[in-house]
Amino acid sequence: MQLSYFRRVAAGGAVAALAFAGVGAFTAGPAYAATSKVSVVHGIPDTPVDVYVNGKKTLDNFKPGDVAGPLNLEEGDYDIALTKPGEPIGSAILKVDNAAVPGGANISIAAHLDAAGQPKITPFVNDVSKVDAGKARLIVRHTAAAPAVDVRAGGTPVFEDLTNPNEAKGDVDAGNVKADVVLAGTDTVAIGPADLNLKEGTATIVYAIGSAEGKTLDVVAQTITGLHSAPGGVPSGDGGQAGTGVDTWWYVLTGAGVLLLLGGGVRMATARTGRK
Amino acid sequence: MTVRNRGALAALAAGVAALTVAGLVACANQPAGTVGAEEASTLASAPPTAASAPSVPVTAGELPAGPKIIPPVRLLIPEIGVTATVNAVGINERTNDFEVPPSVDQIGWYRYGPGLEADAGSVVIAGHVDSAKQGKGAFFRLRELDQGDTVTATGSDGEARRYRVVAREEYVKTKIPLDRYFARDGKPRLTLITCGGPFDAKARKYRDNIVVTAVPV
Repeated sequence: MQLSYFRRVAAGGAVAALAFAGVGAFTAGPAYAATSKVSVVHGIPDTPVDVYVNGKKTLDNFKPGDVAGPLNLEEGDYDIALTKPGEPIGSAILKVDNAAVPGGANISIAAHLDAAGQPKITPFVNDVSKVDAGKARLIVRHTAAAPAVDVRAGGTPVFEDLTNPNEAKGDVDAGNVKADVVLAGTDTVAIGPADLNLKEGTATIVYAIGSAEGKTLDVVAQTITGLHSAPGGVPSGDGGQAGTGVDTWWYVLTGAGVLLLLGGGVRMATARTGRK
Repeated sequence: MTVRNRGALAALAAGVAALTVAGLVACANQPAGTVGAEEASTLASAPPTAASAPSVPVTAGELPAGPKIIPPVRLLIPEIGVTATVNAVGINERTNDFEVPPSVDQIGWYRYGPGLEADAGSVVIAGHVDSAKQGKGAFFRLRELDQGDTVTATGSDGEARRYRVVAREEYVKTKIPLDRYFARDGKPRLTLITCGGPFDAKARKYRDNIVVTAVPV
């Protein structure tokens, strides 16, 4: 079983290379942001690996269901290789040469099965734009050897007809939600249900992984924090008792005071001169 | 002394009295002013992240669990006579504003931000300065707080945590750097917010926000 996966991983190499090239096309980030955050998600069942980046071992015995990173990678091309744990890079089971990492992006690279059960690598660009105050972002990625699915929250489909290797996303009220995955258009539960805690100001990325045929369907989750926004304002008073600054009557009073002083002074002066 | 002279003296006295009253009122109505602004902004700046950690963090991709947050339930500020119940509040759906509790003797903790357990970021509590219908609010005298005053926040775990006021700032509402006060990074701090400044009687709104920043003792 495991060996057959390895063979399939090797076959998937060419696909992976193509997929990497595709990332650059849709993440033309600002020129000044040269560094990208890159996470790696392992969604191939029963296949722990070592991960090499540019010939250097970066992840040791990386297990299915784990998420590594984020790594800060300078914009550029990278050679990535996966080996069986402990094996030399020469006997890599999957190699991707000159994978293009664009600048200023947040990327998740998923090693997973395609719809037909072939191992492959798909890079996803993560939406790390700010969410409104009180909201959380939910992103679901179909990276399992399974047909099209619907994602339900509290029994109601929220994302429909999601296929491998695509994603669906939305900003929802932060909080807890009971979610499950069903075969598209049916009530046949494929994964779950599970309690999702969607924390405000974060993106929760849920990957459906494994194989329906192999009965290894599962989920891997990745969370990106720091996407929160501040409230629009803090309105906290409409009484006016604590108002500072001065009202119109203050100017009237001050004006009257000055006039009285002047008037009184002039009168005194004229009175004195008058008596002389 | 002539009648004329007496009249002039009276006018002078009245003038002096009027100006004295006006002067006193002007002093009393001075905006609270700002102290410790620099310290408050320093607290908000996040420490530089460690340059390229040698090893890559690996985590099990489990579904995120409910975070363990300790909400404040009670706030005590002896200097200005505040003993108030703290409610966990969020965002007003319609206005996108902080949902300050409608009852002016209660105050609201921003439940999306850090709780008292947090080792980083700003715990935000806002309260009414006053209300047209209910009169003075819990934070009526917030603008009187000064550096060194003590604030005690009790958490849902029963533990009382003491904070020392380091800054009091006044901002026109359109210019207040809310991102800084609702930050989830930077040094751990307690941020108290209410309204202040000149009151627009027609719009029934204060022009400014008063912001008090305190740090754990």
